[in-house]
Amino acid sequence: MRYFGGCDSGSTYTKCVIIDETGKMVADVTLRSRINAVLSCEESLKLAAEQVPDLGSAKDLAYLVGTGYGRNKVPFADENISEISCHAMGVHVANPDVKAIIDIGGQDVKGIAVDTDGTVLNFAMNDKCAAGTGRFFEAMARAFEMDLDEFSKLSLKAKNVIPITAQCTVFAESEVISLVGEGKPMDEIAAGIELSVAKRCFVMSKKAGAVDSITLTGGCAKNAGLKEAIEKVLNLKVIDLPVDPQLIGALGAAEFARQKGMARG
Amino acid sequence: MKDLKHLYYFEKLLEDANNELVRQAQAEGKKCVATVCENIPEPLLNLPGLFSVRLRAPRTGSMEMATYYMTSFLCEYTRALLERAIEGGYNFTDCIITPDGCSMMNRCVENMELLKTMGKGKENYFYQYMEIPMKADDNGLNLYVLQCKNHILKPLHESFGVDISDEAIRAAVAEHNEICRLIRQIGEYRKEENPRITGYEYHILTLATYVAPKYLLIDKLKETLEELKTREPDEKNKYRARVVFVGSEVDDVDVIRLVEESGAYVCADRFCLGSFPGRNEIILTDDEDALTQICRQYMYRGQCPRYMNQAKIQERRKYVADLAREYHADGVIYEQIKFCDPWAYERMVGTVVLRDDYKYPVLAVDRPYSIGSSGQMRTRVQAFVESIEIKKIQGGAK
Repeated sequence: MRYFGGCDSGSTYTKCVIIDETGKMVADVTLRSRINAVLSCEESLKLAAEQVPDLGSAKDLAYLVGTGYGRNKVPFADENISEISCHAMGVHVANPDVKAIIDIGGQDVKGIAVDTDGTVLNFAMNDKCAAGTGRFFEAMARAFEMDLDEFSKLSLKAKNVIPITAQCTVFAESEVISLVGEGKPMDEIAAGIELSVAKRCFVMSKKAGAVDSITLTGGCAKNAGLKEAIEKVLNLKVIDLPVDPQLIGALGAAEFARQKGMARG
Repeated sequence: MKDLKHLYYFEKLLEDANNELVRQAQAEGKKCVATVCENIPEPLLNLPGLFSVRLRAPRTGSMEMATYYMTSFLCEYTRALLERAIEGGYNFTDCIITPDGCSMMNRCVENMELLKTMGKGKENYFYQYMEIPMKADDNGLNLYVLQCKNHILKPLHESFGVDISDEAIRAAVAEHNEICRLIRQIGEYRKEENPRITGYEYHILTLATYVAPKYLLIDKLKETLEELKTREPDEKNKYRARVVFVGSEVDDVDVIRLVEESGAYVCADRFCLGSFPGRNEIILTDDEDALTQICRQYMYRGQCPRYMNQAKIQERRKYVADLAREYHADGVIYEQIKFCDPWAYERMVGTVVLRDDYKYPVLAVDRPYSIGSSGQMRTRVQAFVESIEIKKIQGGAK
């Protein structure tokens, strides 16, 4: 049996997926990215390879594709493919019916339209600032003195929404601190934060050509409060994927690796 | 491919506005005429005793001082120029002529004048602001000719005693045309399936002709052309798609390099400081004065979004499509510098028209003036290349 790997070197997390010749996922790793992307990739590949009993090491992968911002730093990769193409392919593999994606990563937000064969039809990117990205949520959770998991569930309890007016991460953090200082309910402030990010996703989803449904990928897709806010704002069904949404980029890379590796013979 | 013999030399020229050849020409007694826009007819700034320099601000860092005077909502190119002027980077110039190609540029040069950034110790230093037509027609031509007389020829003659006769203008056009011929002949190699010159190399050569005295470049350009005739391209073409790069002020050599590193070969350059249409020859006849003929050709060939008559607007998109066809492009990249007003509209509409009417895949990007090693831009271009590649495989692309 031959194995194929995809390594998504993201700005915040490094993800690695290994699949077999049939496309079945046999290993996956998610770890916090270090300052040196090469070291993060090496570690994730090593940990993933250890999960596959008949794979000696990551060097024995039949084909390896790097993706993410550090895609050209993935050691011994056969090639690198942009995360836009990989997310489209990853979603296609996970659920071929999905035609539009919002990928909320650590440092940017992307809207991607997927063709019937898993290739990219169109895409749009917001990379001008950290507002509405994983970094934004990290800053907000810090202001609430919570971890991300706790924070993502907080807004689900809210009866009202306190709007956050600042778009900039730094100013939004000060606004949140002021609101907390004024004694406003924490869950309602959190709902306001989720709503502000959901609105930023609106433009991306339109540019991605979303019509009736959409799926979320990237680390922020695990944020339950954000998912709920997006459903309300976009008035679209948010489709859950059968795979961890944070692994979608790596899965797409692994699928590209499988297709190219199989074609190579 | 083997490195071009003079590429490093040309690259060095682009590191500083006051480059080695500018200093050499000034040491020979020539006056340096600074300008900031493609709408100023270049031959008029290269009359005997003069040479022109299109201002750039290589290695721009912070633009805080310029932003104070111009606000953060204005184009970064104009702010970068003002910042460099305040830093004293353009003290070497002997005068500056600016058009109202856009109001931001006008405001930039007005600030340079108000802040007395240039001309220290130069008695005859002058700033001139000229109007450029917004419609290409006979009235526009009359205006253009008059403006060139009053804001270019007259002040050059009065301040520096420059010969502005018809003969002198024709001599300047002859020199201009020699440069254009060389650049175009070099550019023809970009049509090859496995090209022997990269878009980056071509950009370096073309850019040098805007920022250094032309007469000092001719020999090295001729040698480069000869070298190219026998240059062997790499055995395997490393590019995955061919693109026409369309847009505004592209004077940062890293832009084209980044696009090509992301897999897209820049086979044609339609931008300010590119070769289309900036390196078109000017064809003169003896039936009419040279100035009028130059203005007419600049006005009708111009691809600047400043021109707002319908014929020009439609022609701009056709021009890009024609280039794409002629240079065998798979797609088009439309770019603009952040906060550039004219190109914001042009990019938006051009993107739709080229995609819907001419059926080319199009990527639209806005970018900072200095691109550095922008990972975001790299991702966009690479994703665009990958989508073209897939379409090519599926037979959907041109």
